[in-house]
Amino acid sequence: MVKKIFRVDDMHCPNCTMRVESIEDDLPGIKQVSASYQKGQMLVEYDETQVSEAQIIAAVKTRGYQAVLAVSS
Amino acid sequence: MNQIIVAFVTGLTTGGLSCLAVQGGLLAGSLAHQLEQDVLNQPSARRKKYGRKVSQPRPQTALPIALFLGAKVVAYTLLGFLLGLLGSVLTLNATLRAILFIAIGIFMMGNALRMLNVHPIFRYFVIEPPKFITRYIRRTAWGKGGSQTRPDWITPLFLGALTVLIPCGVTQAMMAVALATGNPFQGAAIMAAFTLGASPVFFIVAYLTTQLGSRLEGLFMRFVALVVLILGLVSINNGLNLTGSPLSARNLSQTFFAPQQSSQASSTVPSSTLTLTVANNGYWPHRLYATAGEAVLMNAVTQGTYSCARDLVIPALGIETLLPATGTVPINIPPQPAGTVMRFSCSMGMYTGEIVFGQ
Repeated sequence: MVKKIFRVDDMHCPNCTMRVESIEDDLPGIKQVSASYQKGQMLVEYDETQVSEAQIIAAVKTRGYQAVLAVSS
Repeated sequence: MNQIIVAFVTGLTTGGLSCLAVQGGLLAGSLAHQLEQDVLNQPSARRKKYGRKVSQPRPQTALPIALFLGAKVVAYTLLGFLLGLLGSVLTLNATLRAILFIAIGIFMMGNALRMLNVHPIFRYFVIEPPKFITRYIRRTAWGKGGSQTRPDWITPLFLGALTVLIPCGVTQAMMAVALATGNPFQGAAIMAAFTLGASPVFFIVAYLTTQLGSRLEGLFMRFVALVVLILGLVSINNGLNLTGSPLSARNLSQTFFAPQQSSQASSTVPSSTLTLTVANNGYWPHRLYATAGEAVLMNAVTQGTYSCARDLVIPALGIETLLPATGTVPINIPPQPAGTVMRFSCSMGMYTGEIVFGQ
């Protein structure tokens, strides 16, 4: 399991964080998504063998937001 | 039964607008979330299908407003029950209310600046719920797969319930009545009747505002932000009035501009016996002249007065008294030095006045 931070600058209210975090319900391999409207980012904890960064970014895009990998932790 | 009818009429006549001044920011905030969602869900460009434009859906604001008010009624009914049961320990004093008004005003202004995208720092003026709550909402209320289309109803419910923490002056008067019953069911009935009475004004003002602006999309969101900004300033000003601060808008204007003499202005000759008329729309005269260096008696006179003006606050004397709807209440003021300006207001800081002590 790894934890990575993605920048999501176009969240414009706390409701957006719920939309972004909903990817944890749809993508297998994601243990937890914690998005912050205030910081404009999301922390994703996931299994690299089941889901990739590209899939995470694509899933966020289907919710209407642009995610960019920030740093690995 | 009479008390319940009076509570309903009070809410209908004065409670709606006076509480909207304090709680309207929370309502606007809950509507703003819904409006932002509706704007996001609309197509970025008008699509044409078979040569016809796809009509844009109207903002779904009636339901959030109704939910907000429904939660408010439930919350205040429960509060009335507790008041009847527990007594006066739940009433905040004037100083705490003033601090609360100012803090709420700052919060509203920060929220408005966030909505206007002035600077990312203002994002911190939004309260982000704990993750376990948002996760619960998303998985139970929204349901999997439908999160993009189902409207958010938890936010208006939550904010509507929060209004119980910021009761306006008229609500405070009703809370006192609920306390005096000593009966939890009667207390609950009084608060429910009052809040129900205040709801139509809330709903009409809020709904008309959103529907009128539905065609303006982003421009309307700026309008909402401006309303929240103004309500924030009003809340701060009310808090300042409640402390008797010279920095409130009215007191500043009287400092820098010549005071206007109204037809109901009192004589400028100082007296040791004053008469203050407490009406539904404020205090008359606004400025009284009292004799310095000796005890002063001020008679507060009410006649069919049901507004928050009944809840008279004199911060310098630590006085906060709920006047009867009709009657005369004597208030003893100890000797004050010449030049003293003693300010007073209603418990909400909306209606103000002052006593000027001179020779």
